Amino acid sequence: MESTLEQHLDDTMKNPAIVGVLCTDQQGHNLGCRGSLSDEHGGVVSVLARQAASLMRDPTDTPTVCLESDSGNILMKTHGSITVAVHKMAS
Amino acid sequence: MGCCYSSETETTEQDRDERKPLIPHPNPDSKPINGAERNPANLPSTRTDEQALLTSILTKTALNIIDVSAADSQGMEQHEYMDKARQYSTKLAVLSNTLSQKKPAPLPSLTTQPHQVLASDLVPYSDMQQVSKIAAYAYSAISQIKVDAKEELVVQFAIP
Repeated sequence: MESTLEQHLDDTMKNPAIVGVLCTDQQGHNLGCRGSLSDEHGGVVSVLARQAASLMRDPTDTPTVCLESDSGNILMKTHGSITVAVHKMAS
Repeated sequence: MGCCYSSETETTEQDRDERKPLIPHPNPDSKPINGAERNPANLPSTRTDEQALLTSILTKTALNIIDVSAADSQGMEQHEYMDKARQYSTKLAVLSNTLSQKKPAPLPSLTTQPHQVLASDLVPYSDMQQVSKIAAYAYSAISQIKVDAKEELVVQFAIP
């Protein structure tokens, strides 16, 4: 049923620079995660993406939120009803 | 107070009449008065009626009074009270600790030296594109999720 999503997450993790990936819905329910991002982060990711989107003048324009750090960046992007977070090491 | 009241009065009153508090008061009171009016000459019966009336008044009064002094005597000693207070506060402290530990679900640690991060290069545009692509793929993957009906949900029982 959700094998396509699981496969997609696995494929994403094959990139050596990516150490974590998470997919959440608008309510912060975890739809799937790998690596450094766990199901506990679903709520934070969905809220951050939503708050960032609320800053945009155009409601259809979804911003990419990036948390920069020593140990790579966490990028969050909303697409439709879901939000994806990717933890990527600096290349 | 309800507990104090019930434990204090019910032990004394329960023996006489368990259901007294549930029944309205006027009925038992009016009966002796009527009886007294019917037999005014009968002295022993009037005495017992008076006594019944007095007892009923006493009962009614006892039901309406909450004896605070009795409640205090049933309470705990000062040192017991302090012990309980200490026990509860330690339990609360333990609970609040576990709650505060549960609340934040921090994202992987970011940085202790923000100036280095801020001075570093911008996030590559390719990364932004990559995340957008991953999100779009994930969205399409999720939209493909549908329930596969593998077997009938309603099954007819084979009745011989």
